[in-house]
Amino acid sequence: MDDVRREYTEASDAALVVSIGRYQQAALAEAYRRHAGAVFGLAKRLLNDHSRAEEIVQEVFVKLWNEPNRYDPERGTLRSFLLAHTHGRSVDLIRADAARRTREEKEARQQADGGYDLAHEVWDMALAGHVREAMETLQPGEREAIELAYFGGLTYKEAAAQLGEPEGTVKSRIRSGLKRLRAELVEAGVTVGSE
Amino acid sequence: MNMAGNMDDHADDGTRDETDGPMDRTTDNSGDLYDLDELLGAYALDAVDDDERRRVEDYLEVNPRAADEVQTHREVATMLAFTGMDAPDDLWGRISEEIGEQAPPPGPELAKVMSLADGRVERDQRRRRIMSVAPWIVSAAAAAVIAFVAVGLADQADAPNDPIAAALEVAQADRDSITTTLEADGSDASAEAVIDQDGHGFVVARGLPALPEDQTYQLWGVVDDQVISLGIFGPNPEIETFTVESEVSALAITIEQSPGVVSDGNPDGAYVGAF
Repeated sequence: MDDVRREYTEASDAALVVSIGRYQQAALAEAYRRHAGAVFGLAKRLLNDHSRAEEIVQEVFVKLWNEPNRYDPERGTLRSFLLAHTHGRSVDLIRADAARRTREEKEARQQADGGYDLAHEVWDMALAGHVREAMETLQPGEREAIELAYFGGLTYKEAAAQLGEPEGTVKSRIRSGLKRLRAELVEAGVTVGSE
Repeated sequence: MNMAGNMDDHADDGTRDETDGPMDRTTDNSGDLYDLDELLGAYALDAVDDDERRRVEDYLEVNPRAADEVQTHREVATMLAFTGMDAPDDLWGRISEEIGEQAPPPGPELAKVMSLADGRVERDQRRRRIMSVAPWIVSAAAAAVIAFVAVGLADQADAPNDPIAAALEVAQADRDSITTTLEADGSDASAEAVIDQDGHGFVVARGLPALPEDQTYQLWGVVDDQVISLGIFGPNPEIETFTVESEVSALAITIEQSPGVVSDGNPDGAYVGAF
């Protein structure tokens, strides 16, 4: 990442995307520096496959390069946009993968590689603490439903079958759980999105 | 179209029966609406089947509140995804190699991400005409105080979510951009302009007084001792854009009768700045 031009390190995400639209590769490099770790982490946790997670990261950032106009900064953060794409593609792969039933459920965790700057790491750790605390405020049924849907790649109907709960109950728990999480994070002083 | 901004192809190719309008499956009764609202959380997490996804996306098209809720859920999900990990070191090299093969050479046109839905750039280019020299602008520019405000404009780009403001922010941050302040004799109002190395220009003109509806501000540029029209700003300009294809030595903003003039701009009260 030595080729990241200094001026991009202070630019907003929206400004980065404008520059990406003008084929400034250094702007994409800065977007990668900021968000690739989260994209990779989510893909790896969902797919539990290092190589396929790398493919997802590559696909997500190449798509951002080719189609930056798909990102509308008025509709949310760049990270949310990239992770929504990451999650959608990962889930597509999971559901298309006949072998997914045999895949391990273990949580993908990996030490931060060198080069991840300390400020981000500390901030992420602090944020992770807030998120963990917020998750603990959820009803157990809400937490299970969100985890199975988001990190398990299951539909709410599949999650309901796995939990032995009515589909409507799980559907409602996902929504209420997400609302409760947001409220708890805001209460903790975490900025959710671009609010 | 996925109203929540997901760039997944599978979110855009949802087909529905041509006989179905967006409202047909969303406003049949309050029960349906309730069901669709209850699906928003699962939809945001990609935890719905294809039929439900299409129904929700139809619903989002007619319900901005629901679209906002989905986006909020996705922002919360973004928080869940924080892992503190970095992407593999060698991955950027592969991405860089792939886009290096695909990327066309940088061009002078603004990218679509600028969302210039009003076609302002194209309109300006059509209006641009090589004009006879207007000595009043050249002389005024020569007399103008050259004011480089490399960082002064930054405070005004206070809306990074606005694509125009974001593009302005990029231009201001570029060390190769040139800037000037356009001022008029006897007026405290001014406008500030920046042109980046690719010829993309911005005028922060919201400090200019509003004009009657039958008048408009018009931008002119001095190029090789010729004065050319660079754009019509209307009576209430804010951040306006223009493009130039040659080196510009000065800019001027005049007050004209709407819709503007092709040549011989009105020198009275003109705002002028030199680079």
